[in-house]
Amino acid sequence: MNDVPQNFVDNELYFDVQRFLFAEASLLDRRQYDRWVKLLADEIHYAVYVAVSREVSAEPVEYAIVDEGAVGLRSRIDQLSNSKLTRAENPASQTRRFISNIEATSDSNSTEVQVVSNLLLYRGRPSIEANSFYVGERQDLLRKNGVGWLIVRRAVRLDHTTILDGALSVLL
Amino acid sequence: MLDEKRSNYEWVDVERGLVSREIFVSDEVHGLEIERIFERNWIFLAHETEVPNTGDYVTRMLGSAPVIVVRDADGSIKALLNSCRHRGAKVCRTDSGTARNFVCPYHGWTYERSGKLITTTFDKHFPSGFDFGEARLPAVPRLEVHKGLVFGSWNEDVAPLTDVLGDIAWYIDPFLSRTAGGMEVLAPPHRWRAKANWKVGALNFVGDSQHILTTHVGPLTLDPVRAARAGFATAAENSFQVTTDQGHGCTLTYLAPGLPEDAYQTHPQDILPLYDKILSGKQRTLLDRLRVIVGTIFPNLSFIETQVGPAQKAVIIRQWQPINGTEMEVLSWVLAEKEATAEYKATVLKNGFHNFGAAGVFEQDDLELWASATFASNNSISKRFPYSFHTALPYIDAPETDPHWPGRVFKPSDTEVAQLEFMRHWDRCMKSNAD
Repeated sequence: MNDVPQNFVDNELYFDVQRFLFAEASLLDRRQYDRWVKLLADEIHYAVYVAVSREVSAEPVEYAIVDEGAVGLRSRIDQLSNSKLTRAENPASQTRRFISNIEATSDSNSTEVQVVSNLLLYRGRPSIEANSFYVGERQDLLRKNGVGWLIVRRAVRLDHTTILDGALSVLL
Repeated sequence: MLDEKRSNYEWVDVERGLVSREIFVSDEVHGLEIERIFERNWIFLAHETEVPNTGDYVTRMLGSAPVIVVRDADGSIKALLNSCRHRGAKVCRTDSGTARNFVCPYHGWTYERSGKLITTTFDKHFPSGFDFGEARLPAVPRLEVHKGLVFGSWNEDVAPLTDVLGDIAWYIDPFLSRTAGGMEVLAPPHRWRAKANWKVGALNFVGDSQHILTTHVGPLTLDPVRAARAGFATAAENSFQVTTDQGHGCTLTYLAPGLPEDAYQTHPQDILPLYDKILSGKQRTLLDRLRVIVGTIFPNLSFIETQVGPAQKAVIIRQWQPINGTEMEVLSWVLAEKEATAEYKATVLKNGFHNFGAAGVFEQDDLELWASATFASNNSISKRFPYSFHTALPYIDAPETDPHWPGRVFKPSDTEVAQLEFMRHWDRCMKSNAD
């Protein structure tokens, strides 16, 4: 790489961020939502984008299919985590999130880190004996919080133009 | 040749309120539907605000055929078969774009936006006297626009769109065109696949009030962006279903009395005066205290206007595109008034998708249950037991005698009348269009 950004985080910080992302993914895979929401900043913004298939020379077009602040995200989680309130997640999807290709940058003296990573989410639906994958790029903004981190912003850009497993009831 | 008698039951038995499971899972029936319904009827293609400028195009399906929907220089919209006359390559391989003309990437055959062949780039090798005029990109022979909705038909002889829409236009116009500027789409269509037959979606939207409190118990209990949650549990007595002769139908659910006054401010207050300039009389009062209208324009275009926040309504149109007997692709558009503020549109789009869409808190539960119904229905044992539409029976022959509204009006709004009438019309089309 010839154009290395000046603000790549150092190795120690990199592993700290990676460890956080893996632990956070594990909470979601184990459906430990109460612990997961504690990792969200008050001003959390969570969005999922889908692109439209366009000519390479044409202006790209994308749109958000999920666009939530704290209140909207909370209501989604309340629904997913309550067996009486969800059909799509009762029985629960079996998920396994793979986070890779992580890169983290941060301006010096900043408590915030920008993270880009790849997401591969396996999703099994036992009720209809089906499984699928969601794939995309995550762009996160993390803020240092004591020894841990808070997620301030997460944007997932899916590598799908049509959502092939239409009941997208899992968090990406 | 598929024989409905093999399935032990008629496809649609209106007298007994029974509908065969076979037609919700069969690839053979799907093939017949494509011929007898999707190639004969008016089918939704796009909203005209998706192709605002000359050369703008989107690619869609008309039945099983891929088409390009393009705005031509004279302002008209055209729809062309998206398959080159030479060797069939897709002329447009993207969802949307802008084109001066259409050049096939395979051998360079070039077409005008009207579909007229400009050159094959090897014209000199064609036999003398070859009719290049005939070798055009086939146009969808009929294309008409109703209040921004672009419909096409492969059937040259289909009756005018206005006639086919009939009475349902009176109901959809107050949602599709209620300000001088009309509605516009707020984003490209959201697309997803559902493991269910297209008719499952069409029926759900034409009039399935009975699933609301059970399937959607989650968002109804939780949803913080909804305005009149207290009023959701009971529909007002004046709620009703509508069916029409052309197979269309809808359900209007009104807010119950006795709610706090602000619950009845269902629409944005600054835009409401604009409605008064376009709508009058009963079409205008249709909107008062309306909690939700949901409906289906036969065969596969549905619409819903739903509360997404205090004084915020999302108008969503969506198409259930048949893929095969057990799968559909759903396309969903969120609309808002052109005159609305950018902020209102952004909120409507965001909240619209919060509720409806692949990740929508309403939709995800529908999709799960439809998939499970498909999974459990698609075997020879299950097919011995037709689906129940019994709660249509006490009402289907007794529409309101003095209805005040066009079409056939039925009360109460939580029966299966609209659904059974949709299936009756489906059956009529399948039988009358049989060769």
